[in-house]
Amino acid sequence: MNTLLSVNGLSIDFDTKAGRRRVVDNISFSVGEGEVLGVLGESGSGKTITTSAVLGLIQGHPGVVSGQILLSSPDGTSDLLDGLEGVLTGKKGDEVKNVRRWDRLVSRRMESVWGRQMTAIFQNPRASLDPLIKVGTQVAESVALAHPNWNSNRIREKALHWLERVQLSAPQRVYVSYAHELSGGMCQRVMIAVALAREPRLLIADEPTTGLDTTVRAEVVKLFSQLIEEEDRAMMYISHDVREVLYLADRVIVMKDGAILETSSANDIRQGCGKRAAYTQFLLESAGIVGGGSNV
Amino acid sequence: MVLKQHLGLLASGSVVALFCLFGFIAPFVDYSAQDAVNQRERQFCPPLFLDATPQQSKTCPKPTGSFFGTDHLGREVGIRLFKGIQAVFFPGCLAALLAIFIGGLLGAVGGYGRGIFRGATLGFIRIIDTLPRMVFLILICTIFRPSITLIALVAGILSIPTVATVVRDKVERLASEDYILAYIAHGFRPVKILLYHILWLQCRSLLIRQASFIFGYIVFIEAALCYLGDYGVQEPDPSWGNMIAQAKSYALMSTWPWLFPSLAAMITIAAFMAFGNVVANRDEVVKR
Repeated sequence: MNTLLSVNGLSIDFDTKAGRRRVVDNISFSVGEGEVLGVLGESGSGKTITTSAVLGLIQGHPGVVSGQILLSSPDGTSDLLDGLEGVLTGKKGDEVKNVRRWDRLVSRRMESVWGRQMTAIFQNPRASLDPLIKVGTQVAESVALAHPNWNSNRIREKALHWLERVQLSAPQRVYVSYAHELSGGMCQRVMIAVALAREPRLLIADEPTTGLDTTVRAEVVKLFSQLIEEEDRAMMYISHDVREVLYLADRVIVMKDGAILETSSANDIRQGCGKRAAYTQFLLESAGIVGGGSNV
Repeated sequence: MVLKQHLGLLASGSVVALFCLFGFIAPFVDYSAQDAVNQRERQFCPPLFLDATPQQSKTCPKPTGSFFGTDHLGREVGIRLFKGIQAVFFPGCLAALLAIFIGGLLGAVGGYGRGIFRGATLGFIRIIDTLPRMVFLILICTIFRPSITLIALVAGILSIPTVATVVRDKVERLASEDYILAYIAHGFRPVKILLYHILWLQCRSLLIRQASFIFGYIVFIEAALCYLGDYGVQEPDPSWGNMIAQAKSYALMSTWPWLFPSLAAMITIAAFMAFGNVVANRDEVVKR
């Protein structure tokens, strides 16, 4: 299996009034092509900031981001953080300038990466959809970006196709709805459709089930697992829910306080093989899974 | 019920529509018949609905035949009111368009852009914002030959900071919204996100409101400048401002030459303000 994304020694510090604070501490992991990597951890464990760093969406905050984020694309492997080290640190009083320079450099570098190489599904599906555009149009815009040469009919058909793929019951009706007219679960399905329609090589789902009720969560997770099977796309699935992560992922990393405590295959955790870190064991026990045998 | 719901839009909209219609047709009307009348004979004729005093009836034919009465030179107030619209219509459009285009763009760049662009636009906005509007306009009028187009141009430029500031505030707030981040992550071009998704979709109602306000402001500023010192539209071309300014010397002798233009200006300004609000609010409601 070829490695698609490989993060080596990523550390993130933020400068606060009380001094420098390390939020992500020297973590390394990799995602292979077609692999689903589960990232498990409690709130504040650094999951979201790690994904933001990978996505180049850490916005304006002085600090240090160091390490390597290697992304292999058809044109070869490139380090997304290459030459960016030290941009955010600098003379005192230059913080605002540094942050702007960082933002500028990152967005220039990520221009070819965003969408084409990787894209994200965020928490809070409704806020992630444009309130003023019909959701179908948003899917279509995504399709149009993935296939710049297509005409509008073909784009529309493909967009409807994606809405069907995410198992929305009435795709024609949803196509002409606004985000506020849909339920949270439907919004998240649309969001998944928008992200998939962009046809990225790596999809990052950052707590996609947060804020949905239990039954809807189960449906969304099931949808993810089906799509993973059909699409064969690499994915990072970030969640604090042990069951979801174990259900979907091939490999799991467990994070706490900005560090990776454990990396193991999901199968091992499910079946209780091998040695568990104490914290992982604690998470499994608190979710009611001791030793193995999980189902969503 | 339906009427009550749309009353605001109907009332303000009809005034605005009428104003725009008159503004368009006023330049094409032939006024020569009016000019040919020996007008000195007919000065201060009262409007149709007022009875003439004995002194007035000496100079005025009966019936007077003029609905709004005549002024101190015997010219029809009604026709001058109508003709006065063209004095402010195109300049008003010019000022409003200028302010919302440049103000909107500057606001968008100031709120979304980074680095030198942002600094430069914000600096420019602040510099214009420091100019005291009325004083600056009077200064311009004393330096150059007074012309309503020039006034509108300058007033439009002076309105840029207001537009730019409200747009910038909104853009700045929106830029950190989840869905804008999602657009970025999906690889949408920043220019498209800024111009279409933020500026057009989100700030449209804001811009409509501002444009309408600026139009009302031009009507107001023209009247004010005429009244303060003959800086606005120059005689013999009528404008509501110079009608009021000229009639003020005879204010007690006859009320109609200043009353009607004042009312017209008042209603127009109020209607434009209300129209901007109503349309913008409805746009917001439709969007939500």
